[in-house]
Amino acid sequence: MIEGSIWRKWLFYYVPLILFVVVLLFPFYWMIITSIRPDGELYRPWNAVNYQPFWTNKPTWEHFTYLFEETNFGRWMWNTMFIAVTSTLISLFCGVLAGYALARLNFPWAGSLGTLIFITYLVPQTLLFIPLAEIIRDFRLGDSPWSLILTYPTFLIPFCTWLMMGYFKAIPKELEECARIDGASRWKAMLFIIIPVALPGILSSGIIAFTLSWNEFIYALVFLSSPDEKTVAVGVTSELIRGDVFFWGSLMAGALLGSVPVAIVYSFFVEHYVSGLTGSVKG
Amino acid sequence: MVNTKRRSVIKLAGSAAAVASTGMAGILASGRTPAYAQQKAVHWLRWVDFVPASDTLLRKELLPRAEKELGMKITLETVNGNDLQPRATAAIQSGTGPDLIQAFNTNAYIYANSVVDLTDIAEDMSKREGGIYKYCRSLCSDGKIFMSMPWAVPGAMISYRKSWFEEVGFNAFPKTWQELHDAAKKLKAKGRPIGQTLGHTFGDAPTFTYPYMWSWGGKELEADGKTVAINSKETLESVKFLTQLWKDGCDEGALAWDDTNNNRAFLSGTISATLNGASIYIESSRKPDTYQTEKGTPMFKDILHSPLPAGPAGQFGMHLMQSDMLMKYSKNQDASKEFLKWIHTEKNYGEWFNSQKGYSTPCTAMWEKNPLWDKDPVMAPFKVAARLGQAPGFAGLPNQKAAEALSKYIITDMYAKAVQGMAPEESVKWAEGELKKIYAA
Amino acid sequence: MAVTAMSEAGARRPPPRLRKLEDERWLAAVLLAPTAILLGLFIAYPFFEGVMLSLSSAKVGDPGQFVGLANFAKLWDDNIFWTSVWNTFWYTGVTTVFKLALGLWLAMLLNRHFKGKALVRAFILLPFIIPTVLSTFAWKWMFDPTFSVINWSLFKLGLIHMRINWLGDPTLAMSSIMVVNIWRGVPFFAISLLAGLQTISPELNEAAAIDGARPWNRFWYVTWPLLLPVTMVVMLFSVIQTFADFQLVYVMTGGGPANATHLFATYAYQIGIVSGLLSQGAAVSLAMFPFLFVIVVVQLLYIRRVETR
Repeated sequence: MIEGSIWRKWLFYYVPLILFVVVLLFPFYWMIITSIRPDGELYRPWNAVNYQPFWTNKPTWEHFTYLFEETNFGRWMWNTMFIAVTSTLISLFCGVLAGYALARLNFPWAGSLGTLIFITYLVPQTLLFIPLAEIIRDFRLGDSPWSLILTYPTFLIPFCTWLMMGYFKAIPKELEECARIDGASRWKAMLFIIIPVALPGILSSGIIAFTLSWNEFIYALVFLSSPDEKTVAVGVTSELIRGDVFFWGSLMAGALLGSVPVAIVYSFFVEHYVSGLTGSVKG
Repeated sequence: MVNTKRRSVIKLAGSAAAVASTGMAGILASGRTPAYAQQKAVHWLRWVDFVPASDTLLRKELLPRAEKELGMKITLETVNGNDLQPRATAAIQSGTGPDLIQAFNTNAYIYANSVVDLTDIAEDMSKREGGIYKYCRSLCSDGKIFMSMPWAVPGAMISYRKSWFEEVGFNAFPKTWQELHDAAKKLKAKGRPIGQTLGHTFGDAPTFTYPYMWSWGGKELEADGKTVAINSKETLESVKFLTQLWKDGCDEGALAWDDTNNNRAFLSGTISATLNGASIYIESSRKPDTYQTEKGTPMFKDILHSPLPAGPAGQFGMHLMQSDMLMKYSKNQDASKEFLKWIHTEKNYGEWFNSQKGYSTPCTAMWEKNPLWDKDPVMAPFKVAARLGQAPGFAGLPNQKAAEALSKYIITDMYAKAVQGMAPEESVKWAEGELKKIYAA
Repeated sequence: MAVTAMSEAGARRPPPRLRKLEDERWLAAVLLAPTAILLGLFIAYPFFEGVMLSLSSAKVGDPGQFVGLANFAKLWDDNIFWTSVWNTFWYTGVTTVFKLALGLWLAMLLNRHFKGKALVRAFILLPFIIPTVLSTFAWKWMFDPTFSVINWSLFKLGLIHMRINWLGDPTLAMSSIMVVNIWRGVPFFAISLLAGLQTISPELNEAAAIDGARPWNRFWYVTWPLLLPVTMVVMLFSVIQTFADFQLVYVMTGGGPANATHLFATYAYQIGIVSGLLSQGAAVSLAMFPFLFVIVVVQLLYIRRVETR
């Protein structure tokens, strides 16, 4: 806490805070202003007399209408959503079960298995890329959302498992033992006692997993090919850069709309995210 | 082999999973046409065209007509040009993907093992249309097979501001590098430098650096196609001259420009000239109210095109070259060939050619006589782009090794390093070392 | 067997099929099965294949032959490779320090009550959650040599007289990329450290204050040690992400100017995927693994030590 006079409060507290917020959010403001700026204003050099970076007098929706009329933007949003949600659910399912086993069960090599799962998180994507392309061929999943739904968990599961391990470790052993003395099987104790307690942790790993899959780019770029199957990040970048002409307005409009779903998820769950994280690191 | 055994296990598991997943995917992604419907289909991957009207023409008119006349389903996919190679690599390795993939420049050589020979279609076109230019032929055919079907050459010419060059005493674009240096120096003094990228971008950087080097007499290889010959007096001269030209007359911000930066810089009136396709001119004439000169007149009326200036060894050009590869993994090879024949008929191809307004030069001699070239004198220099082009790897062949050197940006980096302050001798030596690594393997 | 020993605790016996699950070993096996299958199929097997690839002469469309360590020998002589190694370490090191310092500062600022705190907290997360490719495009647009709003602002403030060539100069390009990475990472650090700070009971600080400790000492001797475990975990994840970063550089510079900004991942991509030299690309990727592995093991050991202290 900072004590003392008002000016000290301003100097050490409000001014830095305001600076942080401004710097962190400025690119978003820039995206918004770019997406509603008419083309004529957009392409003025920075040292031109009439360069007005922070405002526009003639806001326009043309970049947004272009996005929806000339591209498959709606479709991309749906694809991204579907892929992110499904792969998150799969990873959560695996991660919760594995995290529970590694954190709360006694069996040989539990420790080394945990480390092994963690190490898989370190394997570079660029190395897996070509072999994965071959596996996708063998599974005949090319150009289908399932090629991503099944490959995204490769980086989501280690993450979820690890977070959940921390979380499960933090739950006192007694809780489970009480339930078992009351006659619940180990299985039931896990399902009905421990997992509900771990719900904030599950939510928070879910949020992070969702963000990571929403964010993914390389696999999406090469494993999907039909225009209808693309994700937002890939679709926006591949269709709004025409040879040597960027459609900056629509590009920024797409970027803005493309971040809305994640932003909504976070604004609802930021509390859980924070408490989940706290839980995981307490362990 | 052990390898095959492991593979077949994976495959077995794979087919089981595939059955399960198509079931699920089928339910979830309803509305997709079932894959087992026995319809002929062609999936064509191209870049997003510089000229939006051409993509619209393909999507809305040409392809629907082709579908009707050929009785097949044709899907056109367009991606950013820099993403074509990653897509091709992944498609080949995974054995699924587009049937036809657009190749740029020497790329067909990289994928030579994975494409279907198109000699019959290409030679047929050549006979019909007065011969395929040497430049296009060398990029699509290794002398044995046609690895890809020549499509077009989007010419790279210098776009420049007529009035600005007149102001410094040049009524036409400089004919030699020395003259260009004089003009650029005066222009830069007035805050109107020349914009040229030396960045890692597939279009504007190599189409400048390669012909620039040739015009001084520099070359990557001897004619035997094996001996690296870049470390020559001529190359060194060219590097020295460029560093000077850069300092005196170029926009020094351009080192990492991609293909789009110079367009924006030119259109916003910050540079006086740049090597580019015709897209600057086309974009500015499409929106005369948006892009204006400092005097408030439409900018496109002040734009002219010129080939690169000449050096001691002559005048050269290297252009982008587009061709279409028919992939070996494709299950629709016959349909794809049929489609290629259809789109390369004079009538159908002509429609596309017209929509480019001269941006692309076709690969055969016949089109030089097309009335399109008379319509707009500003576009006339593009007419002979394909005829005068030379391919990377000179004086060797534009084969896979030349393609590797191109995609590693060795020639471009040689100049970029010197411009950034490396001693010219060092940068040439560096390029020699890199080329030797490629050609030794 | 252990099954009978275990189940004596329960009055009602579980149905026979689930009885096996009372054995911790069986239960563990069942619970780990989905993870093992997915990771085995999509990581372990491709990893093995990737290693084989790096030992072959494979090119796109050509499986090649076994060539031993030839690809790695080639890398040893490849100065672009060494540039990317150096870049990757530099990039990871610098950004991590900044992210930690700024993130911690922001977390401290947020760790008190003020009006609109929830809103601020939600908003500052935006850089972290927006897809990297898309936000990087916004930055690329801001760094554009011709249209840079940053240049304009600095110019208007009288700090510069000539424009700064953000992405064209090798050193500046690297710094610009780092700025974007830091911008993206600070919120993650701040929010996670804030979560850590909130677990520290305010009474500890108050007690220290009553004992007369100055704010700096209170932070150093009370808050920081308690925050250390969280900090290490956050740093661990950040380092892994940053070390293997791809998208940011791919969009901003594509590795240019003149290969000055290549990282492991972008260089591997450039060679393997763009140029089609699969085996060499795999070798570059694989070369990243031991470096990352060592860094992470050191960090993990340190976390263990901190946690058991």
